[in-house]
Amino acid sequence: MSAVPHTEKQSYVLLHVGNRRFALRSELVEELAPPVRLHHFPNTTSLTAGVIVRRGRIVPVYDVAPMLCGRESSVHRFYLVARRKFGNESEASAIPVNGECELATAELLPVSDGDPCYFEGSLDLGGEKIEVLNLEALVSSRGVPNNVSDPLELRQ
Amino acid sequence: MKFATNDGSKPRRAQASEAVILFCIANQTFAIAADAVQEIRSTDSLGGAAIEIEEADVPKVRHLVERARRTYYVVSGCSHFGLRLTRPTLVLILRQIRAAVLVDSIERMADVSKIHPLPRAFEGEERKWYRGLTYLEDRVIPLIHPGGFLTVEEFARLDRAATLSSTAHEMAGAEQA
Repeated sequence: MSAVPHTEKQSYVLLHVGNRRFALRSELVEELAPPVRLHHFPNTTSLTAGVIVRRGRIVPVYDVAPMLCGRESSVHRFYLVARRKFGNESEASAIPVNGECELATAELLPVSDGDPCYFEGSLDLGGEKIEVLNLEALVSSRGVPNNVSDPLELRQ
Repeated sequence: MKFATNDGSKPRRAQASEAVILFCIANQTFAIAADAVQEIRSTDSLGGAAIEIEEADVPKVRHLVERARRTYYVVSGCSHFGLRLTRPTLVLILRQIRAAVLVDSIERMADVSKIHPLPRAFEGEERKWYRGLTYLEDRVIPLIHPGGFLTVEEFARLDRAATLSSTAHEMAGAEQA
């Protein structure tokens, strides 16, 4: 993933986590899943809240609300299922969202100094700045606070 | 992007199934292959045969038991999985591994026809703990990897501690005699 700004407009899915709106490149998104049961089992991996079962697959769920909003989200009702890359392969991954998702086409603006490593840029939609999530960086940051001194360091 | 409303199920071809034992620790259900378990005993019946390991530096193991001339290290399931401490009532004595596991209860036996790999999202100790996940009656249940209870290094440390404990017991017995 690169932080270099794109000059062409791209398609994004806008999602709500907690009380904030974020965007994810639409090509990564598989589906918006209904509020199916979240299954828990013991593990030591931070951010992984459990798994859901979708279309015969077991999909890990990343609880990213504390990372993005600084606290747990109590309002999520759906799961946004997206692809997370692991080398040459990818895995379906779910993020709890509150259900209000929409598509938008916009130009990616570059990241600002001091932005967390898990933002790959932002969109300007009617004057509202919406951060574009870098899913891989977000779930790999594993609880690194969003005021890291050198976010570029974590982008590499 | 698809906005899905329900999770359709498709008919699947019959697959070879595996018999598993479902057991509980601290209200969490786990599965273990039935052929990985040699014996299930109550903690009461095994209590007299359990020998405390002194100065063991593997906190999840406090006792050993001798069964058929083999030494089995008794692993606390709660400590192993980082669950709240409970009062275990049963011990699963494993077949291939010199370990026994304290559990709260046996739920039942079941046949599982599909074992899903643990998603790569899980990157911690659980990769050693589980062979995979199984989906059984609307529940996702982790399938235990029996070799994940103790590492080779932990066995070596426990063997040393057990030898020291045994020597201390023998010396104490000799002094009393």
